Amino acid sequence: MGNLQRALRKEMWYLLFIVPGVCLFIMAVVIPLIMGARYSFTNWDGVSNKFAFVGWDNYVKAYQDPGFWAALGNTAKYALILTLLVNVFSLLLALVLDAFLPLRNVFRTIFFLPSVISIVLSGFIWSYNYSTGIPQLLSHFGLDVTSPLGNPDYALFGLILVALWQGIGSPMIIYIAGLQGIPQELSESAKIDGAGVWKSFRHITFPLLAPSVTINLLLVLTGSLKVFDLVFVTTNGGPGFATEVVSTYIYRTSFSSFQGGYGMALSMMFFLILVIVTVVQMSISRRREVEM
Amino acid sequence: MKKTRIAVFVLILVLALIFLFPLYIAVLMSVKTAKQTFDSFYALPSSLDFSNYLHAWQTSKFPVAISNSLIITGLSVVLIVLVSALAGYSIARRNKPFYNIIFLLFLSGMMIPFQVTMLPLYKLGKTLHMLNTHWGIILIYGGFGIQMGVLFYTAFIKQISREIEEAATIDGCSTPGIFFRVILPLLKPVTATVVVLNALYIWNDFLLPLLYLQDNQYRTIPLQQYFFFGQYSSDLNLAFAYAVMGMIPVIVFFLLMQKFIIKGIAAGAVKG
Repeated sequence: MGNLQRALRKEMWYLLFIVPGVCLFIMAVVIPLIMGARYSFTNWDGVSNKFAFVGWDNYVKAYQDPGFWAALGNTAKYALILTLLVNVFSLLLALVLDAFLPLRNVFRTIFFLPSVISIVLSGFIWSYNYSTGIPQLLSHFGLDVTSPLGNPDYALFGLILVALWQGIGSPMIIYIAGLQGIPQELSESAKIDGAGVWKSFRHITFPLLAPSVTINLLLVLTGSLKVFDLVFVTTNGGPGFATEVVSTYIYRTSFSSFQGGYGMALSMMFFLILVIVTVVQMSISRRREVEM
Repeated sequence: MKKTRIAVFVLILVLALIFLFPLYIAVLMSVKTAKQTFDSFYALPSSLDFSNYLHAWQTSKFPVAISNSLIITGLSVVLIVLVSALAGYSIARRNKPFYNIIFLLFLSGMMIPFQVTMLPLYKLGKTLHMLNTHWGIILIYGGFGIQMGVLFYTAFIKQISREIEEAATIDGCSTPGIFFRVILPLLKPVTATVVVLNALYIWNDFLLPLLYLQDNQYRTIPLQQYFFFGQYSSDLNLAFAYAVMGMIPVIVFFLLMQKFIIKGIAAGAVKG
């Protein structure tokens, strides 16, 4: 009897331990998600307490909304280019900084430094550098440039550059950690066998680094698809529609044009797209990892 | 071979200088007056002038913003650590379907982007009177942070041998006693990871404070800066002084905690 009681009490403690976590999770994630799914079928304005159910109307509207597709296009362009650039740069830096190089710890700190400041700050600093700092510097070389953020053709690339500056830190650390997990003997024996730097990278280092590549591609891609702060504080979607991304478009629809129900339908579609991207990317990378 | 090494070193050095350039401009701007900037953009000022800082300190509510940031970041992190360690302990030790399902729910929650739930969260915050309070935003950060936290703690606790706990049980220690006296002290490495990752994220977060802390009294540093930059866009030297002021705490934190941050990111990648 005493044993059973003790076991029950123990079980009760375990249950009690998990309650706070479950409560917080339900409040911050589950309830908002259910509320959002429900609102996406209404004509809610986002403010008042009145709304009516309109069926799939919002989703049909989203499908026909050129603004949403344009924002989606901008987001895809931004995310793909940024993912590629961040990974190439951080891998190159990791390779160099993992090898012998004087002051490599100082360099690591410098390349990581931009990632710890807030995006509000980096957006502000870069807006100014684009408009004044860099043109001033280049004018010494006789070049005349204006801020890319004011030009619809270059604004998105201007933002990509800022995000690259801020986004290299973590992937670089992950690549360095991955490189340190590769046994030294492998590349040494390859060297003895006559493999050059490129060959030993292509056939030994890179395949063994595949898990780090997978995780970095996934983290940077999903992170950049969700971009909000940087666009919001620098260009706010402009000039024109040049840098409007899905997140800022949803924000504008929900909070500025008072179309809460419609904004939620856009959010749900965006969520679905993110899940598909994640699943597809994971399965492709995992298969590649096995093959190599 | 030696030549390539020197070439690589020079290349990295140049790249590092390019990386530091925007920050250099920010600091440079903050110690000059508008006239000095106009006369010679890149020159260092003849004498260091901190009046911009003094002025920024007086016109902004910097002390209020920094205490808001400290309170919100600090308490959120404590909440995340405690709640996820407790939940992680239960999940790791009761390897039963019920607990595993909860674990999977936490995991899949990490897929949901914030933008998807922001409008309902705002509505929820308004209904429950959580807007413009410290506790409201702390609870939401708690709900976000524990998803990753539980993942880390569960994996870590699973590797701790049960023998210590069994010995403690025989000695008459209750389950909470075991958790707080035996398990919690063993969790230091993983706690360091959870703390630094969440602290950096919460300290720099912009979107949730934008929704939840509109009131001047409750704004965190990034939000306060956002409004300050909008307000003083004509007095750039002043705005940059404020920018640098806001940058200092997080850079100091980074330099002190660098070892843990780097470890945390590497560990996070493996877990993910």
